[in-house]
Amino acid sequence: MSLSTALNTAQNSLLNTQRQTSVLSRNMANADNPDYNRRTAVLSSLHPGARVVDIQRSTDAALFKQNLTALSGWSAQSKIVYELDRLSLDVNGVDHATSPAMLIGQFQEALQLYSSTPSNRTLAENSIEMAREVVRSLNDGSASIQSFRSQMDGEIAQGVEELNSLLADFKKVNDEIIRASRSGRDALDAHDTRDAILKRVSEFVPISTISRDDNDLMIVTADGTTLFETDPRPVSFEPTVVYGSATVGNRILVDGVPLAKSTGANTTGGGSLAAMVQLRDSFAVEMQSQLDEVARGLIQTFSETDPNPPNDVVAGLFTWPGAPNVPAAGTVETGLASGISLNATVDPSKGGDVERLRDGVAFDFNPDGNASFSEYLIDKVNSLDEPMTFVTNGGVTASQSLMTFSAGSISWLEDARKTASSAAETKSATMFRTSEVLSNLTNVNVDEEMALMLQLEQSYAASAKMMQMIDEMLQTLLSVVR
Amino acid sequence: MKVSFVSTQAITQAMRYQMARMQTDLVSANKEAVTFRVADRGLALGARTGMSVSFHRDIDRLKGLTDSNELAASRLASTQVILNQMKDDADSLLSAFTTALSSASDPNIAKDQAEVFIASMTSSLNAHLNGEHLFAGINTDVKPLDDFLDPASTSATEFNELFEGHFGFYPDDTDVSDITAAEMEDFLDNVVEPYFMGTGWTDHWSSATDQQIVSRITLTETAETSVSANIDPFRKLAMAAATISVLVGRDLQSTTKSALLEKAISDLGAGISGIANQTGYTGITEQRIDRANERMSMQVDIISKSLIDIEGVDESEAAVKVNGLIAQIELSYTLTSRMQQMSLLKFL
Repeated sequence: MSLSTALNTAQNSLLNTQRQTSVLSRNMANADNPDYNRRTAVLSSLHPGARVVDIQRSTDAALFKQNLTALSGWSAQSKIVYELDRLSLDVNGVDHATSPAMLIGQFQEALQLYSSTPSNRTLAENSIEMAREVVRSLNDGSASIQSFRSQMDGEIAQGVEELNSLLADFKKVNDEIIRASRSGRDALDAHDTRDAILKRVSEFVPISTISRDDNDLMIVTADGTTLFETDPRPVSFEPTVVYGSATVGNRILVDGVPLAKSTGANTTGGGSLAAMVQLRDSFAVEMQSQLDEVARGLIQTFSETDPNPPNDVVAGLFTWPGAPNVPAAGTVETGLASGISLNATVDPSKGGDVERLRDGVAFDFNPDGNASFSEYLIDKVNSLDEPMTFVTNGGVTASQSLMTFSAGSISWLEDARKTASSAAETKSATMFRTSEVLSNLTNVNVDEEMALMLQLEQSYAASAKMMQMIDEMLQTLLSVVR
Repeated sequence: MKVSFVSTQAITQAMRYQMARMQTDLVSANKEAVTFRVADRGLALGARTGMSVSFHRDIDRLKGLTDSNELAASRLASTQVILNQMKDDADSLLSAFTTALSSASDPNIAKDQAEVFIASMTSSLNAHLNGEHLFAGINTDVKPLDDFLDPASTSATEFNELFEGHFGFYPDDTDVSDITAAEMEDFLDNVVEPYFMGTGWTDHWSSATDQQIVSRITLTETAETSVSANIDPFRKLAMAAATISVLVGRDLQSTTKSALLEKAISDLGAGISGIANQTGYTGITEQRIDRANERMSMQVDIISKSLIDIEGVDESEAAVKVNGLIAQIELSYTLTSRMQQMSLLKFL
């Protein structure tokens, strides 16, 4: 070994330390960037004295994959919790105060009070106003469900658009990585960007990735449809602007294949797109059909039988576009809740006579016009509690009273909310836990970098000292020669 | 080489996440501590929310029923007062008739008493409460009893027609003195009685309906909560008083008068006992309403208790929860600031 070799090595060491310092300062600069993966400058010896710095990016493929799954699960669940909250508030009001169930209860109370003093016209007006409230809550509930559906539809369209642009970005970054890999260039920043894009994609659809040669990545959805392979696959969705009760929303197509449906309040699906489709097509539709059944229950309860042959049964206080017939039991008449209205015969705002509520709306059961005729009213108050056939959740028919059924509708929604909310808690915990572990493995710890900096400082000083010493030795040697 | 097992990012994130959760919890715990009810009924009860909704509804309904029962109860109480009043009036009329029959006192006294009785009976049966005629059955917006004392009234003219139809002359005719006791008895038993007890009463005297006001007094029970002017005791009292007031003042044979008074006394007796019975029936209904109210208030108590069981929160627990959360959040703030201090930078 000669002095010049020693000088070379010391020089090399200075160079390496400088490069290590530059990596370190980059790490420090990105300490708060969650998408930044910590770089490590690895020294390796080629032959004695010559050391090369190789920059590596810390990753954990398995954890990253787990984090993507957790992310899409949480994104779907939190969407469902948030939107169910809103649906419940829109349809049932704060503390269910404006729910059809509560309002029917108040209407029954008003009828009861009226039946105790049928001669009192004010009480008749009060009952009619309560009936109007019931109708309004059904109409408004139905309208807000449909606007909820159209809003979901709009958000789906927006999400699909965003997903497509993310995939286009993904192509750019992926291509860059492939090119860099082929030419042996460093593309670590592109890797960071690509991982960040994958995280955002997984918020929309549940995905898994397949690595190929030259660091190329292929994305497939959880149900096996290819989302990206060299080129992005088109995700298409035909939005529907106006929703009626019978409108069926379009499905999301990934590369021509429909996105799998998710079910349950603790949703089986991942990604906000599946969650929004589920909200639009199952929760909102089910809610609507329950309102429709409540509306049918009201029309049927207040229907009247002609005292004269052929004893037709016709719609009474509550009526609908198909009047005078009464909607058939056992099937859901879609959109009935938005079509139900107060019979004009008793509606004072349409020139009707409120006292028909006492005597019978479609037929006169009090032909003598007795002021305290209470039988019709008492009969109607009672029949609100009598069992009738309802189509319940899932298309099953069951015998229940209108009061029970309408309260059951609240139970159904709140049960879904409760399940969804506790599932969201679990899923968010999983999401935070995996992110935390991933972050611990891949993100920067400032203190560690500081410690490393001390080490580098020492090493730099030592190398410099070494150069100074070699210089002195050379000086000594030269002075001997002189 | 990576030596640490925690990243700076993870430390701050975890802190932030915990803080956000605790603050959300604090909001709902605060609401619970103030209202003593769960903050979000739906989230707390899930599928049982419907139960809580129907409990709330049941309580409202039972209270509503209790309120409307008050109306029926006040109607029955007024009815009761009037019935007792009429019974007293009928008692004094009975003694007046008995005196008239036993002594040779002026028959006009009996006639006057009968007229006074008819006047008080008319006003009693036409009494109204809260805009409803109490004795009108369900035809409560029409005065039930015709004013017999008004000579032009239907009931008065029809009575004269009835007399004329049987005897061939009107009561103010001088021929009345020819009527024998037997003829008068025949008239009273076979013409006047069927008239009053049959359609004559409903056609000319009363516009009340036989049907009485039916009220729902509990969730499942209904009761008749009024008395109709068409019940037999009223007809009997009116018949006795009307015959006496029209006929006794006339120039009749004394035996005929006695026959009249005897018939009137027996009708009055039947009427008085009938009213006493009616008072009893009404009392029973009043008692039923009382009991129904009592039962319903018990039901309200029970339901309220169950409601508290399912959606109430323990007051002290809620308060402790709020305090605990506040302490925890404060601790978390302290920790955050301590951790902010904890950096190698400070020591280099």
